[in-house]
Amino acid sequence: MIEVENLTKHYGHHTAVDGLTFTADAGEIVGLLGPNGAGKTTTMRMLTGFMPPTSGSARIAGFDIFTDSLEVRKRVGYLPERVPLYPDMTVKGYVTFWAELRGAKQPRQQAERALEMVNLSDRRNTLVRNLSKGMRQRLGLAQALVHDPQVVILDEPTIGIDPQQVIEVRERVRALRQQHTVLFSTHILSEAEQICDRVVIINKGKIVAQGAPNALRQQLQHGVNLYVQISGANSATAGRLLSDLRGVQSVEAQGDGFIVRARQGADVRGDIAQRVVQAGYTLLEMRPVAMTLEEIFLDIVGKGQAS
Amino acid sequence: MTGTWTIFRREVGQYFAQPTAYLVAFGMLLLTGLYFNADLAFSVTERMVNPAVIPEFLSFILVFFAPLLTMRLLAEETREGTLELLLTAPVSDTPIVVGKFLGAWFYYTVLLALTFVYQFIVMQVTNADLGHSLCAYIGIWLYGGATLAVGLLFSALTENQVVAAFLAMATLLFLWLGDLAGQIVANLDLARLIRELTLGGHFSSSFAVGIVRAEDIAYYAGMIAIMLFISIRVVESKRWR
Repeated sequence: MIEVENLTKHYGHHTAVDGLTFTADAGEIVGLLGPNGAGKTTTMRMLTGFMPPTSGSARIAGFDIFTDSLEVRKRVGYLPERVPLYPDMTVKGYVTFWAELRGAKQPRQQAERALEMVNLSDRRNTLVRNLSKGMRQRLGLAQALVHDPQVVILDEPTIGIDPQQVIEVRERVRALRQQHTVLFSTHILSEAEQICDRVVIINKGKIVAQGAPNALRQQLQHGVNLYVQISGANSATAGRLLSDLRGVQSVEAQGDGFIVRARQGADVRGDIAQRVVQAGYTLLEMRPVAMTLEEIFLDIVGKGQAS
Repeated sequence: MTGTWTIFRREVGQYFAQPTAYLVAFGMLLLTGLYFNADLAFSVTERMVNPAVIPEFLSFILVFFAPLLTMRLLAEETREGTLELLLTAPVSDTPIVVGKFLGAWFYYTVLLALTFVYQFIVMQVTNADLGHSLCAYIGIWLYGGATLAVGLLFSALTENQVVAAFLAMATLLFLWLGDLAGQIVANLDLARLIRELTLGGHFSSSFAVGIVRAEDIAYYAGMIAIMLFISIRVVESKRWR
């Protein structure tokens, strides 16, 4: 549905987006993840036909974003980061306006349906200026969905609203799956993990990793971490005991136990149990500790910045 | 030109929903009313009623009022970020600019229609030359369109409404005063050239005296077309920044 190939954007000498290549299949929710200034908004602006790329290309529903811009724009619903509103219009009037402009066949009915979808039907005659921030965000979402687009592009839709409403917006976005392809940008990792089928992590305009959140975690987690708790030994001796096992990379004290980091592919669990028992101590607990996406992200982005 | 009608309708709706437009209407009617009253009182004792009195007066105050009507059009959209959404709608840039211009012109036409009340009063008290009045009204309608197009261009150039209004006023004042400059130049050809280029030069000695000339219509139409063309290019250029 969305095919991005080598997409690049320069602003003067500054390269905002540098050779992005990724795809999103129909009915998929893809998260564009990266720190502020990574190039998420620029990428989205190019995909929505707001600005042309410097080089590279992208196709949405088979139409090239540069040569068939109008066809692309018919099929895309877009919610920019700062929700663009006309404060002097009524809620219904606002959504109907966008429906008409995007060539909806029954603008009024479709506007009504979009408002229902975001739970704003009872506010249809309120002036936009009188809506709360969360409602405005939902109105922005209604605007993006009103013409029933194949692709929905949302730029940080959960920024700056209260936690309850963040959850609401996330649920709405998740509900879009199947009928729409969603490209969704965020700098919050847990959000991407919750909502997205696939995550594309970008930093400084380049893709640093992409894949399903789970796969990404497995792929990027270097080795296995184990939490081990031992009774009967002080931390120094126990640490020494575990650290010279074959396959163990490092041992760190954490709480009442240790985090043992093993090399990729090495299963050290049996050795640890044996060693502890042989030394005359008691093994109280041993469990794998998964690295969160957060840690992976910081790891990757940190590496990018160091280089 | 899909989208022009939608944009036009929204703009007209905006005019009737915003205080600025009502203030402009109020100011325009108040000033024209005062001026009309003074002229009428003068006419009773001194001379005939001038059938083009209101259009002639409008040709001056539009220099200040037209920018107030247009300053919002594109500047506000740029500042509020709604332009980004407009530019990602499946319409080209032309209907956006043209629809906005037509909306402003329509609102101005409504304001102009309100001043017909003075014509009715004139008709009650004297045998007015209606043809002459009509002619002047056609002229000021086109003249107004041209001033609004200039205002629209400055609204496209900046995201600050005050700056847009100020620059448009300065430009219009220049185009209006240019007529005066033409009158004090000794070289006749040069004077004529200057006069041909100014807004007033195509109004005060043709429409205002009851003559409709093709070249004057072409001047205002051309002015509108050029200003809209540049505005469209300016909006287009926002994509490349």
